[in-house]
Amino acid sequence: MSTTDVELSDIVKEFESGGTIVRAVDQVSVQIADGEFFALLGPSGCGKTTTLRLIAGFEQPTAGRILIRGRAMEGIPAYHRPVNTVFQDYALFPHLTVEQNVMFGLQMEGLGKKEARKRAEEALEMVRLPGVAKRKPHQLSGGQQQRVALARALVKQPAVLLLDEPLGALDLKLRKNMQYELKALQRDVGITFIYVTHDQEEAITMADRIAVMNEGKMLQVGKPEEIYERPGTRFVADFIGETNFIPATLLDRDSAGRGMVQLPTGDVIPALLSDALQAASGDVTLALRPERIGIFDQLTSGDFQQGDMTTLDAVLVDSQYIGTDTRYTLRIAEDTNLVARMQNVDGQDKAALAIGQAVKISWHRSSATVLDH
Amino acid sequence: MLTADQQLINEDAMSRNRMVRRLGVIGLWLNPVFSYFFLWAPILVLVLFSFNQSRSVASFTGFTLRWYGNILNNVMGAESAFSTELMLNAFRNSLFVGTVATAISTVLGTMIALSMARGKYKGKRLLDALLFFPVVIPEITQAISLAIFFKVVFDWLALISGERIFPGFHTIIAAHVTFNISFVAIVVRARLADMNPQLEEAANDLGANPWQTFWLVTFPLILPGVISGALLAFTLSLDDFVITFFTSGVGTTTLPVFVYGLLKLTVTPEVNAISTIMMVLSTFFIGISLTIQGRAVARA
Repeated sequence: MSTTDVELSDIVKEFESGGTIVRAVDQVSVQIADGEFFALLGPSGCGKTTTLRLIAGFEQPTAGRILIRGRAMEGIPAYHRPVNTVFQDYALFPHLTVEQNVMFGLQMEGLGKKEARKRAEEALEMVRLPGVAKRKPHQLSGGQQQRVALARALVKQPAVLLLDEPLGALDLKLRKNMQYELKALQRDVGITFIYVTHDQEEAITMADRIAVMNEGKMLQVGKPEEIYERPGTRFVADFIGETNFIPATLLDRDSAGRGMVQLPTGDVIPALLSDALQAASGDVTLALRPERIGIFDQLTSGDFQQGDMTTLDAVLVDSQYIGTDTRYTLRIAEDTNLVARMQNVDGQDKAALAIGQAVKISWHRSSATVLDH
Repeated sequence: MLTADQQLINEDAMSRNRMVRRLGVIGLWLNPVFSYFFLWAPILVLVLFSFNQSRSVASFTGFTLRWYGNILNNVMGAESAFSTELMLNAFRNSLFVGTVATAISTVLGTMIALSMARGKYKGKRLLDALLFFPVVIPEITQAISLAIFFKVVFDWLALISGERIFPGFHTIIAAHVTFNISFVAIVVRARLADMNPQLEEAANDLGANPWQTFWLVTFPLILPGVISGALLAFTLSLDDFVITFFTSGVGTTTLPVFVYGLLKLTVTPEVNAISTIMMVLSTFFIGISLTIQGRAVARA
């Protein structure tokens, strides 16, 4: 993972629609390493698919440069780029058999029929789909078609494999299985994957690094745990997982990335500052993941009010059983509610928490992140 | 609980509702019967009387294949205008015009359809609307306009080169191409609209240049549309009377024009027989065209 495989620098893509110019990709710069599983994550219309299409060569950037393995891609058509794509709806050729679909790209390279057939067979085995070579795509299930699309692209041994929401059309269970399989496959073949998805869970489980996009901008790039634990903006924190946003006032910040904020309750508590934080003081937002909040009975509270833990008074407003967890709604101040999640384990005394009960809540000081308002 | 009176009123309303619904059902049943009757009755009369023993259309006196035999055996009642030789010649002319006009209009129409579906340029909507023009303007208008157009062009050419070109197969074929292009383009474009444009991108992505992409992916996929467009064009060409009549020259009589010539004298059972044969042929080609389109849609 040492060399850079794909480099985007200051990419801008504008489309004209109905007389107005829409900026689909806005000043995107990123370097993707060789062999990396890189996810482009964001809501629909955020520019992630356009970014992928720019790399594939289906669209030309309005400004900026794309380098693949150090080679500038300007003016190089899609059919001469060392990348292959797995399309969202697979785009298998309906008039060709599965085998002919997989052989297509090899024959375009000038490979003989015999050699191409052998390689196609190997590719179909690699995606665990032997024995369907002579069938037409429409005779296969969605999951099987997906594998054919994968084999068709991988058989070309591209420098980069581009995947455009490849699991979007599959049902939940199949999608989960394919996530693990794709990840394992990527490790085996060692090809750089650029994976477009709007599913944050998919990105977190599969990717080495994630780029969160919104409105054409790449908001944050980082490892899944960085994105989850240390969101840079309110949008990222909100898009990835569930987050409590508490309006707060930044009183003090130090150079080590820590600060003191005042909550609506009047309490002044320590918190980590996000790297992207601009505000030096004043109105900010405190982000806090629900599963990082502990709830304790008043009587035992003393034991937890120590060290790096922040403790507040709260009233339990509501609780909701959701299987693995229970979701608690807690009021810390007038108009300020927090959601906490606790895993359901055996031996837990659930009766101890009643609606309307006064409790203590607490979290580690590094669980709270200060974001711009 | 309902009182006895209320129950009575309810039952009354219910029986009225039932009656209205019955009427509706009968009406719905009658509607297609009448529609299809109006649609098909004249054609049925034609076909029926082509098998009529009597020469007159006053009554059906019995079944015969005599008139079909007559047109093949050079006999046609008292009419000396008719000869099997002339009819077959007209039929050959029709096939020739149809084949050449179809070939030209299929290539041009397919190209227009591709340009409409894939091209990115200004004024596409206007071109799109213009494409439908030959389909909607009255045939007679088109016929006269073509006749005048050819005259103007030939006059002009005569002025330049000193040699006069006379109308003939080339004018009929050119005229047929003008209306056939639209039909081919419309049918092929419908097929292209059904086609996933990502398939072309996928071919590109796998290393196929635009030329290879067209011949290996696009063309095989739109082929059913192209064939059915061609068959439609061929049928229209074979059937056309008005435009052919206005643009034909000497010795280029097509079958419809030939039949019209016979009609000037009188409607004979032989004319009925020829018309029936033409109808069967046209229905056959259109049937194939529709079947191909239907299959293609079912597979897509």
